[in-house]
Amino acid sequence: MIIGTAKESYRADEALLTTTPQRIWMAILMAGLVALPFFFNTYWIYLACLVMINVIAATGLNVLTGFTGLVSLGHAAFMAVGAYAVAWLEKNTGLPLPVNLLAGGLLAAAVGVLVGLPSLRIKGLYLAIATIAASFILHFIFIDWRSVTGGTAGLTLEPGRIFGFQLVEYRHLYWLIMPVTVLMVTGAANLFRNRIGRAFIAIRDRDISAEVLGIPILRYKLLSFGLASFYAGIAGGLWVLFFRVVTPESFPLVTSIFLLAAVIVGGMGTIIGGVIGALFMTMVPELLRYVVDFLSPVIPNASLILSPVRTIVFGALIVGFLVFEPQGLAEIIQRIRRFFRVWPFRT
Amino acid sequence: MNDDLLFFTEVTLAGLGSGALLALTALAFVLIYKATRVINLAVSEILMLGGYLFFTFAASLSLPWWGALPLAILGGGAVGAIVERGLIRPMLGESAISVFMVTVGLGSVLVGLVEAFWGTDPKSLPNFIANTPVFFGEAYVSRKILVAFIAATVVIGIFLILFRFWRGGVALRATASDQAAAYSCGINVPGVFSIAWIIGCATAAGAGVLLGAIGGISPVMGVFGLSALVVVIVGGLDSLLGALVGGLALGVIQAWVSSFLGGEYVSPITFGILILTLVIRPYGLFGTHEIERL
Amino acid sequence: MSQVSRRSLLQLMGATAMATGVLGGTTLAAFADDSELVIGGSLPLTGVFGFAGVAIEKAMQDYAKIINDQGGIAGRKVRLAYEDTAYKPDTSVAVFNKLTSQNDIHLYYGDSTAFAKTISLELARADRILMGGASFATELNDPVKHPNIFIPGPDYSEMFSILLEHIAREKPGAKVVFVCSDSEFGRDPIEPGAARAKALGLDMGDVIITPPGSVDVSTEVLKLRRARPDYVIFHGYIKAPLPEFMSQAKQLGLETKFMGTFWSMDSSIWDDVGDVADGFMGIMPYRYYYDTEPAPMLDKIREMRGEYQATGYMQGMISAMILLESAKRVLEDGQELTGKNLKAAMNTIKDFDTGGIIGVPFSMAGNSIPVGRVYQYSAAEKKMNPVSDWINVGG
Repeated sequence: MIIGTAKESYRADEALLTTTPQRIWMAILMAGLVALPFFFNTYWIYLACLVMINVIAATGLNVLTGFTGLVSLGHAAFMAVGAYAVAWLEKNTGLPLPVNLLAGGLLAAAVGVLVGLPSLRIKGLYLAIATIAASFILHFIFIDWRSVTGGTAGLTLEPGRIFGFQLVEYRHLYWLIMPVTVLMVTGAANLFRNRIGRAFIAIRDRDISAEVLGIPILRYKLLSFGLASFYAGIAGGLWVLFFRVVTPESFPLVTSIFLLAAVIVGGMGTIIGGVIGALFMTMVPELLRYVVDFLSPVIPNASLILSPVRTIVFGALIVGFLVFEPQGLAEIIQRIRRFFRVWPFRT
Repeated sequence: MNDDLLFFTEVTLAGLGSGALLALTALAFVLIYKATRVINLAVSEILMLGGYLFFTFAASLSLPWWGALPLAILGGGAVGAIVERGLIRPMLGESAISVFMVTVGLGSVLVGLVEAFWGTDPKSLPNFIANTPVFFGEAYVSRKILVAFIAATVVIGIFLILFRFWRGGVALRATASDQAAAYSCGINVPGVFSIAWIIGCATAAGAGVLLGAIGGISPVMGVFGLSALVVVIVGGLDSLLGALVGGLALGVIQAWVSSFLGGEYVSPITFGILILTLVIRPYGLFGTHEIERL
Repeated sequence: MSQVSRRSLLQLMGATAMATGVLGGTTLAAFADDSELVIGGSLPLTGVFGFAGVAIEKAMQDYAKIINDQGGIAGRKVRLAYEDTAYKPDTSVAVFNKLTSQNDIHLYYGDSTAFAKTISLELARADRILMGGASFATELNDPVKHPNIFIPGPDYSEMFSILLEHIAREKPGAKVVFVCSDSEFGRDPIEPGAARAKALGLDMGDVIITPPGSVDVSTEVLKLRRARPDYVIFHGYIKAPLPEFMSQAKQLGLETKFMGTFWSMDSSIWDDVGDVADGFMGIMPYRYYYDTEPAPMLDKIREMRGEYQATGYMQGMISAMILLESAKRVLEDGQELTGKNLKAAMNTIKDFDTGGIIGVPFSMAGNSIPVGRVYQYSAAEKKMNPVSDWINVGG
């Protein structure tokens, strides 16, 4: 039982990992991430990579929506910008892959700032709808700017190359995607240990009050948009290295809804929420496949109901969490932690 | 009449026709928003559900269209009632975004249910509108489009009148302008919420039948709702008149764009108008400007 | 950390990597089973393409049964391993990865163009699989870029060529308009189609692009009335909004003849449209279930399945035939089942007889079978009837 943690300095109070069990769990997680490709087959490595790409994108959206209170339903379009940028740079320039990936993120960030500009005048639902509109306009650009985007056929890539090593198989890509994900998530967690993160939270809680307190809200709102889009751009860049083809139909509106759902289900405004939410929402449809397999002797035509069931479960998860557990999975985890921390006493 | 002018007239008439359908769908958004301050994205899916209910009553149970249509509309209303009571009422006081996302999730559930019950193949509704064309002078109009136009304008007209003179309509307006005051005047505010959802969803279901009669039904026909959402934002979320004017205007603009620029420009221009409106008049052309206070 | 420990760490990592390499090898070998031949499938059993996916699955099962009753392919039993994708490319990829990591798969059926493009590079790298599929995209008809993929029929541009050839024979110099949806699918054959029309001396009119999800087509019909084409070729749709298009055009008294491409050609989707669909024509690379010309394979199908089978059924049947024929040729030569060998074997298919499912014997030099025939819908009979001979547009 841990009754409390005594902290002797502000630095200790701000630390990301405050208790020994936390450090142990983190070490286990890291060891697991390193060990994963050695123990699982291609399918599970594929899923792990997909989960991590979604983790990056969801974490970005969490910074914007969960921490700054600006809702975006155009996040998939920023992923698309990153994907197209990385694909184009990989095809047309000889620049090293990390540079291209960074450039993809930065371009997405620039587009994100542009889309975020109306957030000065509009917020809440209106902003969400403006971002939907922006994503449709970007979609049009992807189709019509043929010389760069390849039109409806999109762009196809050769396997990426990093430090002379070709990223051909999923297990190769894992070693690019995994460290980038860890880096990006750690970066996001650190953001909220300093001024910028606190400004975001102040804007979320009451933007007018934040302005009165001397926080330049336009600058911070745009910064938040830029950061979130940077994350989306990196995620999109990894996505295109992973799938090696991007078309205008690669990132539909559903993907934006999926990411927002991941943030909601995981828990808005906590870093772990974005991570867990992306993991959960990516894995549920896959696991449903096994459930349906399992039920197939009982239900006739089980394979035909899989897809509708997935659609229903996806919607029901969003509704269910919002109605019954608005703090998301992160809150459930907190509750479990509390239970063990004070055990044998009850909370 | 010279050829170009005739073509222009016909395109405009066709635009007005599809604009009326947009206006009718927009009306569903407005009714619900006005009373409960919820943007109900599931309107799109209730629209689709309306089409499928009509299909079931008319094709499978072979009811005549005048029997199936009211049943489909009632079905839409019933879904509205259940959703309001079961999901939206418990969310009272939550942030607008949360409620909005609830309706997004609900939309996904409805799509899944429709796919599970009716399958994913697109279907045609039984023909209940004659196919003979209508001519205004020389200008051609598709009869289905004309019927949709008349039905939509009549319904919107009825709503405008009801809102002015019917007790319930006045109660709704009162609730919209000040909930607390409405409460203290003895208006049954939760009742108003329910009524708004029922009427809104019923309207959407009716629009779905009209839409299905023109283009057939499929689980993805809900995308039409996004265009209607543009109408609502441009016209003003809480304005019936805005829905009517915005719907007709957007219908005409889309028809012009599609004829003179090409079909691929319809969606960027539609959403361009949306962003422009949001930046210049965030509360829409006819909407109420709310002042935020600390 | 001391120098020694770092080195030992590296050694440890190396050893682990080697061990997994070995393990990975053994797991692959473990499920390599010489007694069976597995056809994997990312099948769209639900979603917008559900009607086709269900038929394709039935056909592949039936063909597997026919082959197994004859003793299999080189002594191996044929088995299907497939899952539903709902016609979503990312699900298709997930299904592919799952199935290939659980089964020893050398033959595959993929559902969409996007999936084919995504997985093509992986297929080329792994060099284990030959893949057919539901996509007829022109882009896939490139043996250099997509070495492990084939199209079980003409690609969309070749379909346009066949239709245009038919038009040029029926009415030389006729005016043609294309109506296409604003999607990758819809835009696929526009440019090569227009070029082909000009080469055949046809009067190429407008290309009308309809926005995705558009319901009302009045404005497009008005454009048609201005253009007054003799023929309209629709592409990028399955059914909607074709009926509305044709009904409004008829109301306006247009004499235009309407045509479609393969996925619009199933006669069952036109049955509930009725008279409006009467006279609708299109390109069909295979025979219909009810065709009366002698065909042993069709007889067999009618014996196995008492009721009408959709066009997707024929497509799935041909796909399975080509996949298994290629595998048979490789195995009979005593070669290994690699992607390259399978494709090379497929390319040796010359004057292949499908038992009448494709009306003429064909050869597969490239990635496609550039053969097809124009059929016309008769509302009275609820049937598609042939109006042309088999047309071969191959090199």
